[in-house]
Amino acid sequence: MQVKKTNYTVNATPTFEVLTEDEIEAIYYSALRVLYETGVRVYEEEGVEVAHSGGAIVEDTTEDSSLVKIPPWMVDKALSTLPSKVVVVGPDREHRMELYKDQIYFGAGSDTPFTWDPYTGERRRATYEDVKNFAKIAQAMPNMDFHMSLGIVQDVNVGTYDRWQYLAMLEGTTKPINITAVDLDGLRDQLEMAYIRVGGKKEFEKGPTFSLYIEPVSPLSHSEEVVQKLLFATDHGIPFVYTPCPLAGATSPCTLAGTAVQALTESLFGIVLSQLRKPGAPMIIGGLMSNMDMRTTVYCYGSPEMALLSAAYTQITKWLGVPEYETAGCSDAKMFDEQAAMEATFNATTAALTGGNMIHDVGYLEQGLTSSMDMMVATNEIVGRVKRILRGVPVNDETKALDVIEDVGPGGHYLEHDHTYNRFKDLIWQGELTDRQNWESWDLGGRETFRDRVHAKVLEVLEAETEPLMEEDMYQELRRICELADERHKDEELDFDMFV
Amino acid sequence: MSTVYEKLATAVLEGNSDAVPDLVQEGLDEGKTAKELLDNGLVVGMDEVGVRFKRGDMFVPEVLMSAESMKAGMTPLRPLLAEAEEEMLGTIVLGTVEGDLHDIGKNLVGMMCEGAGFEVVNLGFDKPPEDFIDAIKEHQPDIVGMSALLTTTMRAMGHTIKAIEEAGLRDQVKIMVGGAPVDQDFAERIGADGYGSNAPSASDLAKKFVGAA
Repeated sequence: MQVKKTNYTVNATPTFEVLTEDEIEAIYYSALRVLYETGVRVYEEEGVEVAHSGGAIVEDTTEDSSLVKIPPWMVDKALSTLPSKVVVVGPDREHRMELYKDQIYFGAGSDTPFTWDPYTGERRRATYEDVKNFAKIAQAMPNMDFHMSLGIVQDVNVGTYDRWQYLAMLEGTTKPINITAVDLDGLRDQLEMAYIRVGGKKEFEKGPTFSLYIEPVSPLSHSEEVVQKLLFATDHGIPFVYTPCPLAGATSPCTLAGTAVQALTESLFGIVLSQLRKPGAPMIIGGLMSNMDMRTTVYCYGSPEMALLSAAYTQITKWLGVPEYETAGCSDAKMFDEQAAMEATFNATTAALTGGNMIHDVGYLEQGLTSSMDMMVATNEIVGRVKRILRGVPVNDETKALDVIEDVGPGGHYLEHDHTYNRFKDLIWQGELTDRQNWESWDLGGRETFRDRVHAKVLEVLEAETEPLMEEDMYQELRRICELADERHKDEELDFDMFV
Repeated sequence: MSTVYEKLATAVLEGNSDAVPDLVQEGLDEGKTAKELLDNGLVVGMDEVGVRFKRGDMFVPEVLMSAESMKAGMTPLRPLLAEAEEEMLGTIVLGTVEGDLHDIGKNLVGMMCEGAGFEVVNLGFDKPPEDFIDAIKEHQPDIVGMSALLTTTMRAMGHTIKAIEEAGLRDQVKIMVGGAPVDQDFAERIGADGYGSNAPSASDLAKKFVGAA
């Protein structure tokens, strides 16, 4: 430890900051103003009622919604009971996320309509099998800490696909899962499934095995379903991600600070509502902000603005002491190519360097419309590098190694020294898919590119024999819930197949 | 000295909506007809906007400013065109389907179509099939446009088309659909007449429907 003055330790971890503390405060207090003076529109009566009884001003009530204005003291009160740490575990408790300041976890994104078929190389609608396979990949990737459904299951009924997605993920992984739900009924079913998987309601309550993704609509709108899910999750001790997805220049101001203000306002409403409903209810607030591409009108998943906004939001949430949802490992490229690798490297690096908590969307291509196993495997390698960088250059008597330098002396070498032997594996990062061969070896080995090696790894994981993660009885019990849901909701379906 | 047509086209191209009504008046004072000012001025400007946008030389906010200028010109021209019994390009009823609160994509389509010269009736978001049916009866549109951003609400597009069929109105309108998870294959499955992958392509599709492209 290098001691400069009493009680002062040099921080070995490199950090990336885009806001000063004054700027963070300016954004936070501006969000309080928007929440109080502009207000948010809430499309759910019970939510309006909860806010109102907690002190919110309710105006301009129409047939389907009300304008809700939250005075700053309500936010203070809510933040005082909001947990600064949220834990989500895998069903066997082996994998866990402890979400609080600077704790970094990477994982997939969710619900892409399309996926790249790893065998045929075609982009097509995602199926149950794909979602299961993605979970299998996530399970095998050491730098993937949690999982989401990389594909909407579209070979089942549309109104109940969420249960099937959850089942497919449970078949493939024992890592913590961030689920999506089509509606309240879907959430209820998945909670029932989680109880079964983990061994009962009490077990779930000891450590929830999923968190729930909830997305209010920018600008400043909280739909009926969103509020219902929030209230249900709060009532049942389900940690939830409350993440608006504003598009700078389209659904939020073009200026990044303005987008941060608006996104924070949207999340703060969720915080107030959850804490009014149940003080201490766990939640994670969003960090999914980007800009609209002004040529194509798409939501950019690989832009430098997204990385900047994510960094800013991470700093804001750390200052607030609220666990955060971050975005990285994703790209606007259509397939896993050089642009995809470049964008994932940039956003994964900035996300990690700023200390985002639950960093999702690994595996996203085409602005979140297509998932790619190659992208996930490549990002796993990228994250490995980033984690090495995060360990920084610790400077202390041991690492300065003056005695070793003295020992070896001028003209010697360190290869045989115990100091090297005991440390090199830990200190010199070795990627699994990174090529460092000399020319001859690479040439003789068939001149494999990074893309080739990544794809070979995908196939290797998919084809590896693995033990089922659940007993057959349990699987059948979970499957039954999905089938019953299909039966209950069959009348809502179209009378023809929508996708396949 | 540029003609009033050129000045109108330039004002539209530059998104100068303040100047357009005065230029329209100037043209009318010179004895030009409403139809001539529309075809040789406003539309020429918007066509150039389309060319530049596709080339990547103009961006969405600029295109919307131009569309706004086009609209500013249409306001004084519309009654004159009606008086002269000139055919308008057509009317489009637009809405985001039931259960879906996503607004921006559909609004972009609306603004682009207005810029192209359509009358646009924007129903808003979270609109059940009945609202589309009522709007078809009331506005007699040539085209109905539907938007959905969620897979679950994509289903509502199918339900809405079915309801329009059952109301006996399907033959009166062309139906176009769009939204991030939607594609051509899906559009065909639910019996839509077309799919727009983004706002400009929806506007092009609408023009095709009315035989203007």
